[in-house]
Amino acid sequence: MMEPRSLTTRLLLLVAAVVPLIGCSAVVRGQRLSDRPDDTGRGVYLSTGGSPKPYRTLGFVQVTGEGRTVAGMVDVGDAGLDGVIRGTLAQEASKLGGDGVIHIEFLDENPQTDYERLQQAAQTVNSLASGQGQVEQRRRTVVVTGEIIKFTQ
Amino acid sequence: MRNLLVPVVVLALWAGTGCTTINVAQIPSDRSGKEIFLSAGDIPEPYETLGVVQATRSGVRLFGFLDPVGTDIQAGLRDVLIPQIRDMGGDGAINVRFHQIQYAPLTQVVMAVFFVFPLPSSVTVSGEVVKLRR
Amino acid sequence: MSRDLVVAAAGLAALLTGCTAVNTAYVPTARDGRDPFITSGNIQEPYQSLGLLQVTRKGVIIFGAIDPAGTDLNAGFQEMLPRIRQMGGDGLINVRWNQTQYTALARVFSIFLLGMLPGEVTITGEVVRLRRPGEPARGPSL
Repeated sequence: MMEPRSLTTRLLLLVAAVVPLIGCSAVVRGQRLSDRPDDTGRGVYLSTGGSPKPYRTLGFVQVTGEGRTVAGMVDVGDAGLDGVIRGTLAQEASKLGGDGVIHIEFLDENPQTDYERLQQAAQTVNSLASGQGQVEQRRRTVVVTGEIIKFTQ
Repeated sequence: MRNLLVPVVVLALWAGTGCTTINVAQIPSDRSGKEIFLSAGDIPEPYETLGVVQATRSGVRLFGFLDPVGTDIQAGLRDVLIPQIRDMGGDGAINVRFHQIQYAPLTQVVMAVFFVFPLPSSVTVSGEVVKLRR
Repeated sequence: MSRDLVVAAAGLAALLTGCTAVNTAYVPTARDGRDPFITSGNIQEPYQSLGLLQVTRKGVIIFGAIDPAGTDLNAGFQEMLPRIRQMGGDGLINVRWNQTQYTALARVFSIFLLGMLPGEVTITGEVVRLRRPGEPARGPSL
């Protein structure tokens, strides 16, 4: 009778061979930005598009947030579109005396598919169970750029 | 247990120094004609296209923090792109894109300690050079 | 002599196969509500922002031509459409995209990698919901 570990390894290898042919998707989502028009007039205006009102450009900003995914389960650090990065853009706009950030572009450079997370978790469990104590980590990076503006009306 | 010590220490150092790198280029402009303007998108005013430009400036970072050549977005836009726009006879550039190599604070701190290893650094800027139709 | 011949043959192959890879994708653009609309620019109509969305599809391309996993622009946009609806959106604006592209020569030389080349497509954009007439404004996002 085949040993359980050998069967598990063979199954994992089979999955590893088949999945790249089926394909895998990684989806990253961020919270909402500003509406158009932004009737409230409050808060920092954030948009991937242009400005709804006449404006003056104050500068440009690039933010890179780095993080790690540990054992395929826990995300550590600042590699998220929300939180630090969205907050950081608003913060930098305020520092320059700006009212908003427009033409925002973003890219999660190394997103993980569900399969990759599962693989990482399985490898970590395998490593810990066999006494090697190695925790799988994956570097994550998100880059965001934008144009800081001040409304002139 | 010993195998976990190094990754835990690295994670702690890394968490302590922060994980976000920010670079801001302060280049104020409007489209009044008094100065060269830059826009990361399109502009409402009518314009004539003069061409597209892409420029990359490369150098090294010393001690993790010193940037003698100027390879951040401020230098890329102010010292490389704006003079190029002037040379082409433009009033400004639209759909400007910019990207600078950014190192995490921990990397910069470690390189400051191991100062014999300079870090490669570069900034790439691009855009469409335009002349406003007045 | 034989090495020079190999180099010359490779150079000729490069010239004959060319160095350009082209991919196109057909995306819905009508605002009739049947399919989410997709645009690389902004829109004039008033909208509510629902958030940012990035979809990445990864897989293997066999001999540079057979793409069973769907890692081209068309597949990426098809993946986007149901997710826009899931978020309650009517469309996606300011879309940016990037796909791994191999020239014909790279596909020919993939034979040395057992015909397997990594493929990936990434699409980003802002999901929006068109404002219905009379709809009240929301609070600021930040």
